[in-house]
Amino acid sequence: MYNDKNKQKIVDIIKNAARKHSLWVLAYGTGCGAIEVPATMTSRYDAERLGVRGAATPRQADVLLITGYLTVKTLKRVIRVYEQMQDPKYVIGFGSCTINGGMYFDSYNTINQLDLYLPVDVYISGCMPRPEAVLEGFGKLQELIGKGIANGAQQYKENLDFYRENQKKVIKNWDFQDYNW
Amino acid sequence: MKREKATTLYIGPQHPGITGNMMVRLKVEGDTIVGARTEVGYLHRAFEKLVERRNWVQSFTMMCRFCVPEPDPVEESYARAVEMLDNIEIPERAKWIRVLVLELARISSLLLWHAGQGHSLGLYTMGQWSVGDRNYILDLFEDLTGARIYHMFIWPGGVRRDFPKGFEDKVLKTMDYLEKRLEDYDNLLFENSIFQKRTQGVGYVNPEKVIEHGVVGPVLRGSGIKSDIRIDDPYEVYDKLKFEVPTQTGSDIWARALVRRVEIRQSIRIIRQVIEKIPKGDVYTKVPNPQKWKIARGDAFARTESVRGEVGMYVASDGGAKPRRVHFRGAAYVHAVTLLEEVLIGQNIADVSAIMNSLGTCPPEIER
Amino acid sequence: METLLEKIKDRVNANFDLKDYKIYTDLKRVDLFFNKEHIPSVLLYLKEQMGFRHLMHMSVVDWIEEGEFEIIFFLWAPKEKVKIFVKTRIDRDNPVMENMDNIWPQLNTYEREFKEMYGIEFPGLVAPEEFILESWSGPPPMRRDFETDKYAKDNFATRPGREDAQDVRETIAKRSGEDIPDFAKKYSR
Repeated sequence: MYNDKNKQKIVDIIKNAARKHSLWVLAYGTGCGAIEVPATMTSRYDAERLGVRGAATPRQADVLLITGYLTVKTLKRVIRVYEQMQDPKYVIGFGSCTINGGMYFDSYNTINQLDLYLPVDVYISGCMPRPEAVLEGFGKLQELIGKGIANGAQQYKENLDFYRENQKKVIKNWDFQDYNW
Repeated sequence: MKREKATTLYIGPQHPGITGNMMVRLKVEGDTIVGARTEVGYLHRAFEKLVERRNWVQSFTMMCRFCVPEPDPVEESYARAVEMLDNIEIPERAKWIRVLVLELARISSLLLWHAGQGHSLGLYTMGQWSVGDRNYILDLFEDLTGARIYHMFIWPGGVRRDFPKGFEDKVLKTMDYLEKRLEDYDNLLFENSIFQKRTQGVGYVNPEKVIEHGVVGPVLRGSGIKSDIRIDDPYEVYDKLKFEVPTQTGSDIWARALVRRVEIRQSIRIIRQVIEKIPKGDVYTKVPNPQKWKIARGDAFARTESVRGEVGMYVASDGGAKPRRVHFRGAAYVHAVTLLEEVLIGQNIADVSAIMNSLGTCPPEIER
Repeated sequence: METLLEKIKDRVNANFDLKDYKIYTDLKRVDLFFNKEHIPSVLLYLKEQMGFRHLMHMSVVDWIEEGEFEIIFFLWAPKEKVKIFVKTRIDRDNPVMENMDNIWPQLNTYEREFKEMYGIEFPGLVAPEEFILESWSGPPPMRRDFETDKYAKDNFATRPGREDAQDVRETIAKRSGEDIPDFAKKYSR
């Protein structure tokens, strides 16, 4: 699944270089980390100089920022939003609670490990991560895109059964239609 | 007039204009809202369940996460409730530091409100300015507590530590800077004729029913009722400080905006007084070892004035090492559900976001 | 202050069957205990006749050992600046409480929450089924006999931790091929 730079075609290199400097982040504050996103986007930290900016709708967005814990109710909406997004698309897990549940490890309403349900390209640790850490995370994502190894969306398509199984285990009122790409 | 067929319109949870992660289900006829339902639960982390498994001090890390934009009033409420339960007397200096932290939190949250209110009406410059300036307040927090957002600084027994070196000067300098910036905000937001036209007469709350609805804070003061927990039921050292409680009678978004415009200035005034009058001394009382701390059976309810209004914390103990029940009352619990559903009727779709911002909607506070 | 609180208690006692009371003078707070069936009329009386117009809060505490839920209403009089806590107990196995959202509209939200979180029935409550949880099949989660850690362990997979309890610095140093700096070595296990 991972391919290094030598195997990239020249067109991929150009494509990835262009992609990595234009990351449109979906404006969906799924958890408390959303409070640091305005700070990252505005004057002091100014993520827009790196090509990172907000997008209002899933179909125009490239990056889904999971800002913190996901409750089961939100997870369903997030999956829906993620599947509405068009390629290329990336997921950033923001905060400790996306990695292993963080301080909500024993809560009955939050999932503990995000990458069982959605393919995560970059994790940013911390509770909550500072804007510098968020910028660092975006930098890492850009690096991965440049190398052509940020292929979470590819992974999701190839292993859809695995993800679907996990998702259905948690979401009790599953009413999505069965579809494939 | 021909009656149009009502359509259902969902605003949220993924919507750039919504305040946080929640949903409003609207019934619209043309552009007019005829029915509204708030749907929450997207942020339910079951804090009140989790504290049953944590001891008195461990559960303290949960408290700041109840409301993300302004965590300190919740910490303060919990700390004060635990002190009431266990009869802990905190040192004088700690009380003053608490007031300072609470007022800094109020300013930072009001700056966030400026951004939200501007954003909801298409004035994106306001967000760039006020969120940028908010960083200066967060810098002060970082200096004092070590964290930008969740401080966990006010805790049962006092505050965690004293001011670092030169902190007072930094606070005063930041306040001077902020006061100058507020004039720019006036020019940009409050004297903006578009802002005035979009807010005057919009989001009207019936002033006769506000108290029965459980409305608190700036929404209540914007309806002409002078009510502030800091004066009505004073805690810490608010009775030794001089400040005004602004009121307006318009009862619309504009009136509430004017109330908040004065409030941020009053907070600066309070902070200057605190720096001037703060006494010397200890900043915390020794509390028992957190692992062995048991509190006798009883209950306490502590209220604090936050930006959105009165917040309260009910804590019940069964005599054990863990709280029996911690129940938080947020201002948004009332504002964003029953009140919002009523206020939205008859308004335009385009104003929903502005109304939500002006009522102080904060979803994590509703579902906890 | 004490006389005011006493007066409030006496006035309620004269009109209703007060079970018990407790006065906290320094907190300006009166606790009044009633039987369940008196609660609606007491609340209406306090609100309409005695100026306790602001409902601060409503809460439920699960006293599982005693087999009861304690329901508490927190009232505030804006003029007198006094708090009243109206408390009652209901049976835990058959929890039914009168619906009172016509007295204070915001009680509707509280009742929706407690119906979901504690399984308390409020006959006549007009509200959509779900408030916070979505298609929840387990027992009401805020009851004390519901074990949240067990539920989380059964339903949500957790990432396994490091079994060797190895120092994180060593892991990072090995991964990036660097040595641990001298000053950090003394903290390594």
